[in-house]
Amino acid sequence: MKTGVSVFPALVLLVMTSSLAQADAAAGQAAFESNGCQSCHYTQGPATEKTIADQLAKKGPELWYAGSKFQRPWLEAWLADPQPIRSMKFNSVMEPNPGGHAVLSADQVGPVADYLMSLRSDMVVDGAVKVKKKNLKGKLIFIKKMPCSGCHQFPTKKKFSGGLSGPSLIGAGERLNPDWILAYLREPKVFKPVKMMPVFVGVLSDKDMKNVAAHVATFK
Amino acid sequence: MTRLFLIALLIVALGPVFTGAAQAADGKALFGFYCAQCHGTEGEGDGPNVTGDFPVDPRNFTETAEMEKISDADIRNVIIDGGPIADKSPMMPPWGKTLTDAEIEALVGYLRQLCNCTGKTG
Ligand code: HEC
Ligand code: HEC
Ligand code: HEC
Repeated sequence: MKTGVSVFPALVLLVMTSSLAQADAAAGQAAFESNGCQSCHYTQGPATEKTIADQLAKKGPELWYAGSKFQRPWLEAWLADPQPIRSMKFNSVMEPNPGGHAVLSADQVGPVADYLMSLRSDMVVDGAVKVKKKNLKGKLIFIKKMPCSGCHQFPTKKKFSGGLSGPSLIGAGERLNPDWILAYLREPKVFKPVKMMPVFVGVLSDKDMKNVAAHVATFK
Repeated sequence: MTRLFLIALLIVALGPVFTGAAQAADGKALFGFYCAQCHGTEGEGDGPNVTGDFPVDPRNFTETAEMEKISDADIRNVIIDGGPIADKSPMMPPWGKTLTDAEIEALVGYLRQLCNCTGKTG
């Protein structure tokens, strides 16, 4: 009987906090829409792009799995002070990224982050990638066996190196959920049916994918 | 009779021109999306990924003499399996799981258009 009594308030608290988060997510969705964010970002999955033309028609990256992709502290900081992620302008091969992304007011950042973090994909397996300080197998794949470094900037001892056509992976350890990186490699049809990055399913083994995801997750 | 024959001849003669144009348009769009990032929008090997850090030069497809040395089958194999299949750099990615057979054929055709050559046969 005693346990029943002590569990009860805890339960009430749980219900209260989760509805509070929901309220903030709803306020965040309203702010997302009133700021016109959805004119460049779609927030309803699954992915609809079927052709190159569909992909090129998009004005910004899709956000329907944002809660599975990003780490919350990074997202909040970025929404308040968005700095270029891609070296090139979105969907352009030759033009550099002009920057100047829309900024949210300080009071909107929290609720919009709540809203975006509520957009999740069940294709991301929590805890699938074990991140350690180093993953030498993953590193070898990233810089030598596979062309990852040819299209992505990444940190090195000197400073940084790598190609420019993909999103920069500098700071990926703080920006991206390691389990999402693996899911992105495993399930290209789910997250990006049409993209400039090659499909690695059937090229990299699942073990290799885990290693390279764990390596990317070490990038500062 | 002769008129009919002439029309038929015209269709036979123009057929390849039409199909050739359709294939080239497709190949060009595919090239611009997947390949230009390294090989350059004009195929000259100077895409935005080719910075000082890039370890090898992506092939300049307008170099007719170099492109004459490889066959369509060589091109197809490198596109599908990546550089290492032809003892070339892994910086040339494998696209076999990304592109359909028809898309790969369109790309081979487009590279032949860029080099203005037919390549080694057999
Ligand atoms: C004019 C189109 C446009 C509008 C409007 C816009 N964005 Fe973006 N957004 C982009 C582009 C383009 C990028 C990629 C920026 C980069 O790589 O530097 C981006 C990136 C993002 C990212 C990071 C996504 C990723 O995968 O890297 C988030 C989060 C985001 N936007 C949220 C918002 C929010 C919130 C709003 C409304 C305040 C908004 N955006 C309004 C075009 C837009
Ligand atoms: C030919 C160029 C190219 C190669 C090679 C490549 N990528 Fe990418 N990568 C891209 C592009 C372009 C995108 C963005 C796709 C989009 O959003 O449409 C991307 C996206 C990503 C993302 C998601 C980043 C984000 O913020 O959305 C990760 C993680 C990633 N790549 C890792 C890798 C790894 C690991 C490899 C090697 C196994 C690799 N990439 C090889 C071009 C490349
Ligand atoms: C990440 C950069 C990158 C991308 C993207 C890329 N390539 Fe390459 N490609 C290279 C490099 C580098 C070489 C040269 C490798 C060497 O010489 O060792 C090459 C070589 C080739 C060759 C071999 C030419 C020869 O002389 O044998 C062909 C064919 C080719 N690429 C076709 C393509 C096609 C078609 C695409 C688009 C589907 C493409 N490449 C996309 C980097 C790239």
